[in-house]
Formats: sequence, C-alpha cells, structure tokens
Amino acid sequence: MTSSASRATRGPAARGRAPSRAQFLFPTRTTEGGRLRWDGISWLRVAAWLFCAGVIATPLSAIAVQAFSGNHLPLLLQGDVLEAGLNSLISAGLSATGAVAIGTALALLLDRTDLPGARILRLFMLTPLLVPPFVGAIAWLSIAGPAGPVNRFWSDTFGAPLWNIYGGDGVVFLLIVHSYPIAYLIIGAALRRVPSDLEQLARIGGAGAWTAVRHVTIPLLKPALLSAFTLTLVSNLADFGIPSIIGLPERFVTLSTLVYRYIQSGTVDAPLEVVSTIGLLLLVLAAIAVIADTLVSRRKLELDGGATVAVPLQLGRAKPAIALITWTTGLALTALPIFALATQALLPAPGVPLTWENLTLDSFRRALGSPSTATGAINSIVLSVGAGIICAIVGLTIGTLITRLRSRDNAILNGLALLPQAIPGLVLAVGWLIIAPQLGLFNTPWLILCAYVMAFLAMVVQSVNAPLRSTPLALEEAARLAGASRARALVDISWRLAAPAAITGGVLVMLTAVRELTISVLLVAPGTQTIGVLIFNLQQAGAYNAASALSLIITVIGLAGLGLTARSIRA
Amino acid sequence: MFPAKKPLTVVAFAALAGIVLTGCTTATDATAPNSDTEAATITLYTSEPQEKIDEIISAFTEQQSNITVEVFRAGTGDLTARIEAERAAGEIQADILLAADAPTFEAYAAEDLLLEFESAEAANINQDVVDPEGFYVGTRIIPTVIAYNTGLVDAPPTSWQELANPEWANKIVMPNPDVSGAAAFNATVWYNDDNLGKEWLKKLAANNPVIVDSNGPTSQAIATGTQPVGAVVDYLARELAAAGSPIAVSYPSDGVPYVSQPAGIFASTDEADAAKLFIDFLLSAEGQQLAVAQSYLPVRNDVGTPEGAPPMDEIKIVTPDLDTISESRAEAVTYFNDLIG
Repeated sequence: MTSSASRATRGPAARGRAPSRAQFLFPTRTTEGGRLRWDGISWLRVAAWLFCAGVIATPLSAIAVQAFSGNHLPLLLQGDVLEAGLNSLISAGLSATGAVAIGTALALLLDRTDLPGARILRLFMLTPLLVPPFVGAIAWLSIAGPAGPVNRFWSDTFGAPLWNIYGGDGVVFLLIVHSYPIAYLIIGAALRRVPSDLEQLARIGGAGAWTAVRHVTIPLLKPALLSAFTLTLVSNLADFGIPSIIGLPERFVTLSTLVYRYIQSGTVDAPLEVVSTIGLLLLVLAAIAVIADTLVSRRKLELDGGATVAVPLQLGRAKPAIALITWTTGLALTALPIFALATQALLPAPGVPLTWENLTLDSFRRALGSPSTATGAINSIVLSVGAGIICAIVGLTIGTLITRLRSRDNAILNGLALLPQAIPGLVLAVGWLIIAPQLGLFNTPWLILCAYVMAFLAMVVQSVNAPLRSTPLALEEAARLAGASRARALVDISWRLAAPAAITGGVLVMLTAVRELTISVLLVAPGTQTIGVLIFNLQQAGAYNAASALSLIITVIGLAGLGLTARSIRA
Repeated sequence: MFPAKKPLTVVAFAALAGIVLTGCTTATDATAPNSDTEAATITLYTSEPQEKIDEIISAFTEQQSNITVEVFRAGTGDLTARIEAERAAGEIQADILLAADAPTFEAYAAEDLLLEFESAEAANINQDVVDPEGFYVGTRIIPTVIAYNTGLVDAPPTSWQELANPEWANKIVMPNPDVSGAAAFNATVWYNDDNLGKEWLKKLAANNPVIVDSNGPTSQAIATGTQPVGAVVDYLARELAAAGSPIAVSYPSDGVPYVSQPAGIFASTDEADAAKLFIDFLLSAEGQQLAVAQSYLPVRNDVGTPEGAPPMDEIKIVTPDLDTISESRAEAVTYFNDLIG
C-alpha cells in the first residue's frame, strides 16, 4: 500500500538506521522538572501490559504453578522427553524453513510477476489454512499412505513404495503444507511495501528478473522472512494433529504428542503437573527462538514507500515453464487433498470403491442434519470473528508500540505475545480451566474467546512487525516536528501504515480459530460445540465420510469468503 | 421422588396428567413419562460418540421429564485433562462419568472421588462388570477383536496366536496404548495372559504393526485397505460393514479382551438421586435395548445382541483380575512400546 503520507516523502530510498534518532524523538518517559511525564503513549503501553497480564500471563502462571508444584524433571529426563524435544525442534525448524521458502516463492510469483491465473492460484494456495490439520493429515494419508494409489502403483511396478508418508519426513512435509499459507500472507503483506521501483532500477542497470529479485527484493524482505519464520516455528512446535496422525505410527514422538501420552495413558501420577512441565519446556524452546529473532532483527534496512505504481516483473521466455511448474506444484499440494476429501465425502463408507453407482450425498445429510451442526457453526463463527477483531486491535497496538517506540520492556511484551503459540492447545486449555472458576468464566463461550486470543495474538503481532520493521521513522518524526503528540503520531501514522498487515493478521486468526480443535475440545461448555469439535466428534464416532463432508463444506465456504474478501486483504 | 418438597397442586396435576397420558397401560409401565421426580440438572462427562449419547439422553428424558442432562463429550484423555484441571481449580463439575475402562474408575475410587451406590438394576446384569465395592458399573461390553478387509484377506486369523504368524507381517494395524484406554487395557491383558504373554508380544512386534492413534483410525485403515488386518473394537467394524465397507470381524478363539464403558457418580455431586436414575436407565432393559440398537454388546442377557454380532455365549470373553491389570498397566504399556518402538 502507499499511504498519502508516504507518498509525501517522494521517492524510494534504502538506508541504514540511526538508532539514536528514535531515542531522541521518542523518549519512553522524559523527566520534566524531575517528574515522570505521562502521555497517551504511556497509557497505551499500560493498557497493552494489562491486557497481556490478564489474557496471557494469568493462564501461563496457572500452568507454571502446576509445573512447579512437583518436581517432575527426573521423570522427564529419564523418559523420552529428550528425544521428543529433539524431534519437535527438528520438525518445527525444518517445516518453518520450508514454509518460509514456499511462502516467499509464492509471494514473489503470485504478487509480483505476470504469472497467468495468479488470482485463482492464490485462492487454491490458501486452502490448507481452511482444512483442520488432522483432517488434512487423513486426506494426505489416503494419497501418500502405504496403501495409497501412488504407492500401490509404485509397488506393483517397481517392487517398493515410492514414499511412505508415515514418520518424521511426513510430519515435516505436512507441517510445511499447513503453515506456508501463513508465511505467504505475512511475506506478501510486507512485499507490497517494497516499491517495485528498486527492481525496475536494477533491471535498467542490466540485471535479469531473478538477479533483481535476489539482490534487491529478498534482502529488503528479510524482516518479514524472519517474522514469518519465528511465527511458523513457534506454532509448529505446538501442533498436535499432524504429528499424532503421521508421526506416531512410526514412533516419531514430539513434545506435543508426548503431552497426550502422559495425560491419556494414566501411567503417570499427577498427569497435570507432568504435562504442564512439558508445556513450560516448549515455552523455553520458543523463548530461545524469540530471543534469536530479536537479536537478528536489530540490524536492519529501512525502506520508504514507493512513489510509483507497482509494475509486475515480466517473466519473459521462462513464463510458460514457470507457470507450468507453479501450477502443477500448487495443484498437487492443494487440489489433491481436496479431491481426496471430496471422494470420501461422496462415498457412503471407507473402502467402498469409487464408482458412479456408489456416489451418495448421505454423508452431507448426516453432517448437516445434526442440530448441533448449526449451533456449532454459529459458535465457531462468532468466536473466531471476535478473536480476529480483538487480536487485530491488540496486535496492532502491541506491534506498533514495540517496533515504532523504544522502550526497555519491548522485548518482554513481544515475547509475551508470541510465546503462548508454542504451548500445545491441551496445556493452554488446562491453564484456562484452572483459573476459569475465579474469573466466573467457567462453561461460558468467553473462556474459549480468551483462549483463542491468547493462542493467536502472535499472528497479528508478527504480521504487523514484518512491514514496520523496515519502514523508517521519518513519517512519525515529521509528524512530531509538526507538533503532533507521540500518541497522535502513533495513531495517525504508525497505525495507518500497519493497518493492512493487522487486517491480514486478523483474517489469519479468524481462519485458524474457526476450525480450532485442541483448545475448544476442552473448553466447550456441556451441550455446546464448535466446528473443529464437531468434525472431530464425527471422526471419533466412525463417521469418517460425514467428517470429510463437513470439512469440505467449510473449505468451500471459506474459499468463497476468501475470494470475496481477497481484495480487502490485499488492500 | 421427593413430592413433599413440591407444591401439592403440581404433584396433583402431575399425577392427573400421568393418569390421563398413560390411559389403559399399567402403572408399572417403564416407558411412561415420570414427572414425579424432583427437577434436576445433571452434568455428564462421556466418551460416547455424540450421536449415540444424544439418543440415550433423549430416551432418558422421555422417562424422566424433570431431569435435564447436560453432556460434555470428549475422548478419554481430554476428559481426564478436564477433570484434573477442575480438581486443581476446586471441585469436579461433573455428576456422572461414563467412559473408558474399569482401571480408570479404580484410580478415581482410590482417590475417594467416587460415590458408592448400588443400582436398582445391578442384580439383572452381568456380574463381571459390577464393581464389588459399588463405585462404578459397566454399561456395555466393548470387545477388541480381529477385523480384516474382505477385499484383500480371504482367510483371516482366527486367534491372537495366528495374528502373530509371519504371514501377517507389515499388514497389521493397532490403536496406540498411549492414547487409547482400551488399547492400553488390551496390551495389559495380553501381557498377563498365560498363553500369550511376552513371547507372543515379541512375535507380534516382529510383524511390524502400524500403530495409529485410536480405534477410529484403526477401523478406517482396515476398511480402506491401508493395513488389511488389525485389532479394533468390534462395534466400529460392524458399523462400517453395515454402511458398506469391505470389513468383517473375527472373534479370536483364544479369548476376547473387553472394556465395559463404566458409569460412576462423582462424590462431589449435588444431584446424586438424579444421577442414580440415569445410571439405572443405562442398565435397564430399555437402556440396554438402545445399546444393542447402537451396535454395542449389552451387559444384560435378556435384550439380544446387535445385528451381525454372534450370541453372547459364543464369544469367549476374557475377564482378567482387575487388580493385576491396574498394577501392571504401566509396566505392560512400557514393554509394548519398547518392543514396537
């Protein structure tokens, strides 16, 4: 986007940042006549802190109290925790790298070049966001499982299966598939702030399209790549559905599936304490990632807004080849599982051969016929839209406070907003259940709303951080020089700069929350449900085909919604 | 049950309504709505599939129109987590737990969390599923059997011994004892079985079985042919077969381990009487007929068996010593995991 204010700076420029300037113009607190000066910004910061204390620190401390009420480290150290921790780190690290790589490629190809059909492909590429990971994992099993059509064909022809999805490699693959859309949205939002003038300049100077992208665009995207990497890394640490369905059959245990082992099997005393300890362990892993992120992002480039309309990069002679590769890979990643879901949804039971006579709409009737489906859908929509809006507002506030103003507590505030994402949903939900009676929230939908906000705030904060980290403070400085207060400068300039990213983040939160399972399943009040829980319940009842039908409906509705709002997301 | 606490007119009206509604039927007709009981709301935590528990509750409230049942449905592990969190916060919020297996209830009973009670129906049901101390009572027989894909397997294994034969190598699927309570129970029964035991578990492990989450994905893997044979609870396999999946069950001749989906009342309940009525209903002839209609094997022998299931006396059920099971469960599950891992 190009705001009217950024146009005023006339022309693109990239330059190193002088950190002291910010200190000079944006003091956290200045003492005037020996008294602390409080202005709107201070109050905003206090409000952000109070919010984080209530929605994040309180349930975290409930988890910590559980974890420290008994010493379970010996049990954890002699157990499989080290191996599971290593597996968690490796799978989250590799999948975050993969997701950022694919997200960057997509952002460049879909938003920056003249790739044919980019708008339609973009919708396809976002579908993994809409499918609950545990449903996606099952759909992929039917494609690349040991007896899937591909492997069966390969075994018959060459005597051995091509690739068995079970195990660590399958977990990494599926984590990538389900997290690259988040990376793409964050990187894409930041890319729109990189003026294409710079690329044009490089092209005029004789660079090819690829050279221009590699030496000009990607370095300017670094802060966004880092934001996306940290976010996907941290959230993949906590993912449960994929490692439990794809990893466990080959005994690939991660910390989040280990949580379920300890709580479910009844083989340990005080399972809550053990599980909380594992939750804190994941928190420490995530904290390391966040600290690394903060250290790396200290050195950065700044970028003014572009002065000209963005011109798509011409792919030239490579266009047909690139289009073919992108479309094939894109459809393989997204249309195949949707096709698998659709087949399941149209057949009466698993294992029934796919023929015209066998096709039926019974699964759809079963999925939609239940009275709980309608109420579940309404619950999910209200809760996820609510969470999206709250996260967008709070995330925008926190994101701008920590990137636009210098303060010693920035790193802590940032960490507090990011860390809950690394804790498995089960542990987060337990934390909320423990404090719910005191808050009077027990068995109310507000409990789920609070937990969603806690779990997904990171998405908005990282979305907002990504573009702001590379935007100079010149505009805010100009506003201050013209007499605006710090608060006025923040609201009028920083918020407007970051609003599109906050909206993207809010939409991400909505899409993720609408099909959330592991938190909702513990926090729903008796008699109420959410869509994720509905699908899971169908699955548990053996109604696999009805579960597929419901997932398919949600994917299609979500796609339609995305298609309609795509413009506003890209605004 | 406590008409004295109600305004007389309400009782009189209810009695009148009862007479008018029941008409010519006798007063002992179990299906007549009973509005004599005190109004109560009970909360049920269960792992029953949602559709099934909805049917059960609506049949119950037809009988007891004054009692409202609120249900929280989740897998056994999530139920455990919620109950533990509620204990940490103060008090368990559920009145009734209907889930899992006897050892789970033994553990709660050992911590004094369960209410001692005797169901009015206790005398009419299979005594193997009744807790002698009266803390819980089994409500269905859920055996784990051998299921196979009829499109891919002609001669299925007829016993656990045969399942461990090398011909089934790489073809077996089983639920994860870390996740599924029934699977942990089975592993413990096999571990302690004189004829199977560690030797058999080693042979089974040599067949390299695929271990999936829970019983649901197990039956799905068998039906789709991903793994053509496996150990799974019988009702899921029979339901899939009825829906058209190429799956059939074989009740192993060397004994079928089962869990009994027990029901118990939490000691912290405020509605013990209503809760007891609910459990009585589960065990009553009508409740058990409903269980049979929902393809469960019943705990009474006067209600028949589900379509596709053999009569109860043709199935060789293993009834292990529960103390042994409870004591050796962790050891057995660890042994199993070490073999498979």
